[in-house]
Amino acid sequence: MYQDKWILVTGSSRGVGKLISEHLLRNGASVVGFARGEASIEHPKYFHMQIDIGDIQSIKGGFSRIRKLTNKLDVLVNNAAIATSQYVMIASAGAIQEMLNVNLLGTFLVSGEAAKLMYKNHHGRIINIGSMMSKLQPAGGAVYAACKAALNTFSIILAKELASYKVTSNTLAISALHTDMANQLSSEVLHQTISTLTFPRFAEPDDIFNVLDFFASERSSYITGQTIYLGGVS
Amino acid sequence: MLKTKDINEIIFQALNSINDERDPNEAIGVHEETCLFGENGVLDSLSLVTAIVDIESAMSEASGQDICLTDDKAMNQENSPFRTVQSLTAYIELLLSGAI
Repeated sequence: MYQDKWILVTGSSRGVGKLISEHLLRNGASVVGFARGEASIEHPKYFHMQIDIGDIQSIKGGFSRIRKLTNKLDVLVNNAAIATSQYVMIASAGAIQEMLNVNLLGTFLVSGEAAKLMYKNHHGRIINIGSMMSKLQPAGGAVYAACKAALNTFSIILAKELASYKVTSNTLAISALHTDMANQLSSEVLHQTISTLTFPRFAEPDDIFNVLDFFASERSSYITGQTIYLGGVS
Repeated sequence: MLKTKDINEIIFQALNSINDERDPNEAIGVHEETCLFGENGVLDSLSLVTAIVDIESAMSEASGQDICLTDDKAMNQENSPFRTVQSLTAYIELLLSGAI
């Protein structure tokens, strides 16, 4: 379904971003991956760029390189995020700032640059990777959950701003799956949180691909400003 | 260095692109005196954003120089650069010359 599509995935070198990138490549897409680290995917249609998405100059440099590869961007997957489980009274300012930079500022900046590529073609899908944390709001997850809640709101407003250009913006709020990031959260927080899901289990990659494909589909041109939670978060 | 008429042309193209999306009887006039934004302005907020993105992108291609029309410098101007095509052209000339 992704033949001839150009897709940008942030945070593509590991975890959910890597899984998503590999899924897109398997299904025919050309994928540009933004990540701070080196490439962890080798594929003729994968174009890795070492970008710090907390830095606007780095992002602009990345988009300048994208414009040399293609004059269109069909889908943006805002996936890059960091999660540190910290209780508010002992959270360090540095860790909070880093999460805000990557999880929010970076997403805002990348979306703005991506929208500039999409609006002229009157086509685009922006898919934000949210989290069950924004709704479950577990103790120890204040900053991460707040970032993801902000992302939900950002996505809705972005949907309104880009609607006239036929660009959609939706959020896929995932539950935990076994990745490096999940391992960064305390297992106590993680297991307590998962136990509150309607389906109290870790997500499988295909659970994510299913909704991702739905949001990215040409048929989803009338779906925007929505958040879908995996696992039955209520 | 781009000339005044080149900058005008870039702004006109951005306005024409907006007209392409509009109903013909809502088309905006494209000339140097066109009031862009503010009192009697022909652009709403979203159209202004579209025009700015188009102009910045076209200026970068034409001059090889990246300009930003929405930073603090623009906001701090006594008179908004976005009043008319003429005032925007003058502001872009200042940016390109490095005077501000």
